[in-house]
Amino acid sequence: MSQSSDITHDVLVVGAGLAGTWAAMIASQAGVTDVAILSKLHPLRSHSGAAQGGIAAALNNVRPINPNEKRGDLEPIPPGDDPIDSWELHMKDTIKGSAWLGDQNAIKIMVQDAIDIVYTYEHMGCVFSRTPDGRINQRRFGGHSVPRANFAADWTGHVLLHTVYEQACKQGVKFYSEWYALDLIVEDNVCKGLVAIDITTGELHLMRAKAVMFGTGGYGRAWRITSNATANTGDGVALAYNAGVPLMDMEFVQFHPTGLYRHGILMSEACRGEGGYLVNNSGDRFMEDYAPDRMELAPRDIVSRSEQTEIDEGRGVEADGQGIHLDMRHLGHERILERLPQVREIALKFAGVDIIDHPAPIQPTAHYSMGGIPADVNGQVIRDADGTPVTGFYAAGECACISVHGANRLGTNSLLGASVFGRRAGYAIAEFIQGGAQLQPIQGNPLERNRQRIARFKSDPANGKTESWAAVARELKDTMTTNVGIFRNETRLRKALDDIKRLQEHFGQVRVMDKSARFNTDILGALETKHLLTFSEVIAASALARTESRGAHSRTDHDAPDNGNWLKHTLAHPNDDDGPTLSYKAVDIDWDNHPPEVRKY
Amino acid sequence: MTNVTIRVQRFNPDVDQKPHLDEFQIELTQGKTILDALHEIKEEQDGSVTFRRSCRHAICGSCAMNVNGVNMLVCDAPLKDFVDRRGRVTIRPLPYLPIIKDLVVDRTSFWEQYQRVKPWLLPPDDVPEKEFRMSPDEVKALQDAEHCIMCGACYSACQVVAMSKKYIGPHALLKAFLRVLDPRDSAPGERLTDLDQGDGVFRCHTIFNCIDACPKHLNPTQAIETLRKLVMKRQAFEAARAQRQQSLDQPISVE
Ligand SMILES: Cc1cc2nc3c(=O)[nH]c(=O)nc-3n(C[C@H](O)[C@H](O)[C@H](O)COP(=O)(O)OP(=O)(O)OC[C@H]3O[C@@H](n4cnc5c(N)ncnc54)[C@H](O)[C@@H]3O)c2cc1C
Ligand code: FES
Repeated sequence: MSQSSDITHDVLVVGAGLAGTWAAMIASQAGVTDVAILSKLHPLRSHSGAAQGGIAAALNNVRPINPNEKRGDLEPIPPGDDPIDSWELHMKDTIKGSAWLGDQNAIKIMVQDAIDIVYTYEHMGCVFSRTPDGRINQRRFGGHSVPRANFAADWTGHVLLHTVYEQACKQGVKFYSEWYALDLIVEDNVCKGLVAIDITTGELHLMRAKAVMFGTGGYGRAWRITSNATANTGDGVALAYNAGVPLMDMEFVQFHPTGLYRHGILMSEACRGEGGYLVNNSGDRFMEDYAPDRMELAPRDIVSRSEQTEIDEGRGVEADGQGIHLDMRHLGHERILERLPQVREIALKFAGVDIIDHPAPIQPTAHYSMGGIPADVNGQVIRDADGTPVTGFYAAGECACISVHGANRLGTNSLLGASVFGRRAGYAIAEFIQGGAQLQPIQGNPLERNRQRIARFKSDPANGKTESWAAVARELKDTMTTNVGIFRNETRLRKALDDIKRLQEHFGQVRVMDKSARFNTDILGALETKHLLTFSEVIAASALARTESRGAHSRTDHDAPDNGNWLKHTLAHPNDDDGPTLSYKAVDIDWDNHPPEVRKY
Repeated sequence: MTNVTIRVQRFNPDVDQKPHLDEFQIELTQGKTILDALHEIKEEQDGSVTFRRSCRHAICGSCAMNVNGVNMLVCDAPLKDFVDRRGRVTIRPLPYLPIIKDLVVDRTSFWEQYQRVKPWLLPPDDVPEKEFRMSPDEVKALQDAEHCIMCGACYSACQVVAMSKKYIGPHALLKAFLRVLDPRDSAPGERLTDLDQGDGVFRCHTIFNCIDACPKHLNPTQAIETLRKLVMKRQAFEAARAQRQQSLDQPISVE
């Protein structure tokens, strides 16, 4: 890399999705003048913008016309009529959805703040869909016992992201757009900054800050079939882990029931929220056998497992039997065009199917990462079961594990979590800065270390043998899909760990073809692949140790929850030699009001 | 299986004098998009081929390029639909913008214009406890503008932009439309005054390129038309807005 110069800020946020942008905007509003965000994508390209279905909050705007019907039509709640929803009910649903692994203190904060954050979005200019009398419209979503998904057609994330970005611009937050963070600097348990590449020029920079906040998003790209954007490579979690920070509950990865067959692109849960059916090759609505009460609107872990069981037992659709049909024909032309325009386009363009006339082929798709960088309810990153903070380091959004989603996230709770905890992190960071935080001297030479890392990718290998990062990534995705997918067991997980170890060794041979400095996405591909390998090992190791089935973590060799032994969070600590060392952290449970139960839908 | 020749325009300003086309052979299979083909090229043939992408389903706005002379998003473009009679697909960067490298363009002027229209809402001082009330029709009027993904396909197809980067451009005018038409916005008058400047709504030559280029089937020209009309009756519009804002906290009456 050519030249370098240190850059300093009071606050440096990595990631311009909802979590990062909220944090930066709030810190700035709270009076911190020098706040910057860096993002490997232009902020408006962040994956938050891909969210379709809605953001949860108990606004009490609509109710079922027939209160006993789980799926029928909705109507606005007339003024003066009793509310049907409350944060308490939202909390209860979220706890059950999380298979009792969510921390109840954090869940309580999230569902209470939900109402205010949705109104705040509205006041900031977000164009939500409306009821006839002008309130924010709501729809049903899986695992929520009443309609509380507040939506803007089926591009909710898009309007939320644009709205919060606009406000951050107005606020004067500085953006480093298309800058890539590749090394986090934590020394003596104090976070001091990071190293980043300005992608356009290829220059490496040491960026120092009094506080660093990660809102780097999810990591579905470790699987072959995923709803996630190509940017969702888990850089943030890998960077934190490489800097000595543990990762929490990484074994819990959500597979969404309706990814478009073979593409994995999401067909929003709103399809089922609006009343769509799932059917197998004999045309049966098979959810009757798995969740007779909630049917298609059972939580995602349950629906995805049901689909996979149908597929594995030979009742799938399409030539290879690996698909399921999502049937929305009965919703009718008008409703589909009004409520699900984007979903219709997606099915048309990618599968050549018009959902108005035909069922769409779908399959489970890797979607959401419940685990991540352990943080408290203020986004303060912690390093152990006692909650010891990593000074100056914050995280929120999908890269963090706060933990509100526990073993399985409910749909619409993650836009919510990213916003609520992004905002809270913003306030906490402002307090930290205003309390006298200082820039800290850096002992090592991280810039040189990373220069060498990049130079190695461009160098000739000693023995003339090279690997491509793409080939390594492909093999990794194969093993993660086969062995660390919806159904797991000891044999498969051990196989995955062996494969990952082997691939990590191969990675030493990785060289890039693009030797230029400017906009080198070949180098980024290599760095991202390394990150995939890093956190995939943590996922497999954490999954192997957890000898029970809970939420999204489903073991065929230990097929029930084991509250006696496993009602606890996994903390995977980096350990140079042989993968992570695991420790465990208690779950925050209100035993009087929300004790663990059998999870039935 | 048939092969397709993908021709990709290459240019690294640090080393190349001028752009040239490189050819790659790709198998044409069912369901393959142009973005899939580019990924295949990068991952299996030439790692230095450079392009932007992220979401893969036409919502993030990263992957706008020029294919066979037409601006589009490549992530939702089926490869088979773009093979010309000679079995080729030709991919170039968005025209009229500086090239950073290969298919990656410099959108600086595009974003500057976006900032210029102050894309954020300026709500009234009195904010209700709950939501501002808006009717479904008021929302519907904003739906197009709200759905814009800022990909730049329209901007780089616009002849006026090609001549002058001072022109606000269809994307930013569509954004301005979103704010001007939003009943919650308190500054439509100021916004309209700004749009009335030399580089504003009256610079549009109504050539309709932006409509053809928009991958989301939006209609910036119509939005610009509407803004022009509103500029002409700015004061009446401002007064109507002030009036409307009196009842923003009241239920919309349902007949
Ligand atoms: C298709 C889809 C639909 C969804 N629908 C819904 C829904 O309806 N409701 C709901 O609640 N949730 C939904 N989700 C989940 C939700 O969208 C995400 O969990 C949430 O938006 C994550 O926000 P975030 O701010 O944490 O990260 P993101 O929005 O993913 O942002 C990550 C940011 O980090 C940056 N970044 C990452 N790595 C680096 C690096 N190394 N250097 C610099 N910058 C970096 C990126 O550029 C980006 O700006 C959906 C998810 C998907 C995939
Ligand atoms: S990759 Fe996002 S729009 Fe094409």
